Amino acid sequence: MATRNRTLIYKKYRDALKSVRVPSSSSPSSSSPSTSSGASGPVIELVSTSLLNPNRSYAPLSTEDPGNSSKGALTVGLPPAWVDVSEEIAANVQRARTKMAELTKAHAKALMPSFGDGKEDQRLIEGLTLEITNLIRKSEKQLQKLSAGGPSEDSNIRKNVQRSLATDLQNLSMELRKKQSTYLKRLRQQKDGQDGVDLEMNGSRSRMEDDDLDNMVFNEHQMAKLKKSEAFTVEREREIQQVVESVNELAQIMKDLSVLVIDQGTIVDRIDYNIQNVASTVEEGLKQLQKAERTQKKGGMVKCATVLIIMCFIMLVLLILKEIFL
Amino acid sequence: MVLVSAARDYINRMLQDISGMKVLILDSYTISIVSVVYSQSELLQKEVFLVELVESISMSRESMSHLKAVCFLRPISENIQHLRRQLASPRFGEYHLFFSNILKDTQIHILADSDEQEIVQQLQEFYADFVAVDPYHFTLNIQSNHTYMLPAVVDPSNWQHLCDRVVDGIAAVFLALKRRPIIRYQSKSDIAKRVAHETAKLMYQQESGLFDFRRTEVSPLLLVIDRRDDPVTPLLNQWTYQAMVHELIGIQDNKVDLRNMGKFSKDQQEVVLSSEQDSFFKSNMYENFGDIGMNIKHLVDEFQQISKSNQNIQTIEDMAKFVDNYPEYRQMHGNVSKHVTLVTEMSKIVEERKLMLVSQTEQELACNGGEVTAFEAVKNLLDNENLSEIDRLRLVMLYALRYEKEKPVNLMNLCNKLASQSAKYKPGLVQFLLKQAGVDKRSGDLFGNRDLLNIARNMARGLKGVENVYTQHQPFLFQTMENIVKGRLKDTEYPYVGNHFQQGRPQDVVIFIVGGTTYEESRSVALQNASNSGTRFILGGSVVLNSKRFLKDLEEAQRITRSSPSVI
Repeated sequence: MATRNRTLIYKKYRDALKSVRVPSSSSPSSSSPSTSSGASGPVIELVSTSLLNPNRSYAPLSTEDPGNSSKGALTVGLPPAWVDVSEEIAANVQRARTKMAELTKAHAKALMPSFGDGKEDQRLIEGLTLEITNLIRKSEKQLQKLSAGGPSEDSNIRKNVQRSLATDLQNLSMELRKKQSTYLKRLRQQKDGQDGVDLEMNGSRSRMEDDDLDNMVFNEHQMAKLKKSEAFTVEREREIQQVVESVNELAQIMKDLSVLVIDQGTIVDRIDYNIQNVASTVEEGLKQLQKAERTQKKGGMVKCATVLIIMCFIMLVLLILKEIFL
Repeated sequence: MVLVSAARDYINRMLQDISGMKVLILDSYTISIVSVVYSQSELLQKEVFLVELVESISMSRESMSHLKAVCFLRPISENIQHLRRQLASPRFGEYHLFFSNILKDTQIHILADSDEQEIVQQLQEFYADFVAVDPYHFTLNIQSNHTYMLPAVVDPSNWQHLCDRVVDGIAAVFLALKRRPIIRYQSKSDIAKRVAHETAKLMYQQESGLFDFRRTEVSPLLLVIDRRDDPVTPLLNQWTYQAMVHELIGIQDNKVDLRNMGKFSKDQQEVVLSSEQDSFFKSNMYENFGDIGMNIKHLVDEFQQISKSNQNIQTIEDMAKFVDNYPEYRQMHGNVSKHVTLVTEMSKIVEERKLMLVSQTEQELACNGGEVTAFEAVKNLLDNENLSEIDRLRLVMLYALRYEKEKPVNLMNLCNKLASQSAKYKPGLVQFLLKQAGVDKRSGDLFGNRDLLNIARNMARGLKGVENVYTQHQPFLFQTMENIVKGRLKDTEYPYVGNHFQQGRPQDVVIFIVGGTTYEESRSVALQNASNSGTRFILGGSVVLNSKRFLKDLEEAQRITRSSPSVI
């Protein structure tokens, strides 16, 4: 893939032309045609002199610099306020991603068979999931703030920024839900497995013990085990319920986001279609605004208001006159 | 993938090193170039949040100096003027200029002069000056395409302009591929000769440093030919998916505009037919109409099954699964609607214009012999009132191209009949076509009836019978490609430029048809490439033709010839 960089030549020409333009730099925009025609003659000479004396050509540039830097400062303007919002959302997305990585680790740890209660793991997972969901929800609310009214170029940029962030958020929430559903599935498998093991143990125990003497002791043992596994089941049930709730919430968010995201491969994803649309919407918007202005001006409301105000003044004057003469 | 990936690489490189929010500034040509290979969502990923045309950026007063402008423009004088105005009163913080072809020094001067605030950070030439509609097919979307039919003396400036644009486009393709070719051209065509010589001058003399790439054992081949050597292919009606959509409805930059065809829902008024993004289209674009119908039915059945299972949501798991798969479901829905709409529209048109009947005769005119039967068939069809004017015209033209020498009387009869029936028919159009592309003007053996070998081959084919009457035509390009692969392209018909010479068979061949390509030919090229014969072909043209466009060019050329005093 061949390319050619003409930046050096361009910069050389630009510097050469700038040093010619130094005396007439007071009104740059208006005098550009005249300087270009005037500079075409001396340009050739200057280029040759600059080649011969490279050091000399820098001298006028250094005096130009302060002027340039002030002009330069003008061009680097402050971005509008909504850019801060979009940067915030982008930062949130980044944070959510790092938390997601932590969540994966926590999931894996919780699923591993452990001796402890596993309660801290559960709490950690819940905490992380809640945080991520909150981040996504917050970002989504802020995203709605980005939509602007009225056709203007700025609104197009806002719409596009919105779309890009919406795609990111959608991907994030889909990832989160996939992780949760796999965790859920594995959790269920484990729970069933554990219950199955318990039941097996209970069953084998009951088959083994026929002795009446031992029955009492083993029944108590059995009861204790049953109670424990019941509590365990209830606990797991609650957790699964919570995960399911967050899944549903995210599903809702995803539905909202999918309205904002562009479908790949459709006409809306084409650059030329979007440019045509922009042109036509801007024109449409202008027409609507003009129409609104006209109707408002012509409107009976304005006439009524003026008549009322005049009447008020007249009444006021009459009142004052009455007071004076009576 | 070659052309599409080259264009995409250029655009990626333009955008990758520039951080922050960007605005992409294009002109009316480069917008087609970029739109066929890059999508809006990909631009958003690269933080390009606004796309504008260079002619309209000066109109708005909004100053957005927190944005960096990436301009991708063709190096023509109008763009330079627009840029001058912009640089004098800039709206954006930084400007990165990329031009799609070689800049002249004067143009760089002009830009440097207007850049007083030094906001241009880089100026580069990225040679993506072609519209890559398919992996092995590109076009240049030249508006004044009809100029190629006129002799140079009639309109010298437009003729030169067309040549220049073609040379620029071809140069860009080779720069994108990083090769320098050996050039051959069609001997009987002046414009092909001119394009070939100018390209050789550009590549070997004027910019030889730029084109000095690593030499491979076998140089690639550039073959410049003229549309008028095969006027039959654009006139025929097509029955393979992509070619048929273009012939009946019209594809522009891989977009199909259905707004004139009747009432459609908002998202089906304009659709995209791109083999890169639509896998169903990719596997069906070269299939004939009957097979497409069946494949679409399979697609619709699949989709119905999925939507039925989606309606059956009972547990939370089902709901979660539905929401998971919703984006894919929506995309599939859009895709299925698109193809169903297209095929329905085309079936309607086929029915209205009785194209099955017409096309049968067309194919027989193009492929088989039998003058008497052909004449009878054309005469009967002309008598048929349901035929549209363009179909009548095409039939007579095909008859003329085939039998102009054998039975001129019959041809005269048909022309008179045509003139008497349609009021819009421009008299002399058929004769004009023969003057442009008649037997004397063509170098190749279009109908396979010149030398004995071809006649024998045709007879053998006729005896064997064909599988499908409607797709029996092979474009003449197919034979040319075969000859290139076998190294049998005649020097007398396709001479070399200068002292170039080809040893052995070329591995990369770019064929450029001045006057336009057709989708039937691009299908031929794609199938040839898929057959792995050791040679890779790329096809390009000044436009992508269908019969409407070809006839329009012909009429325009005739009008200019008539009104010009300098033609005999």
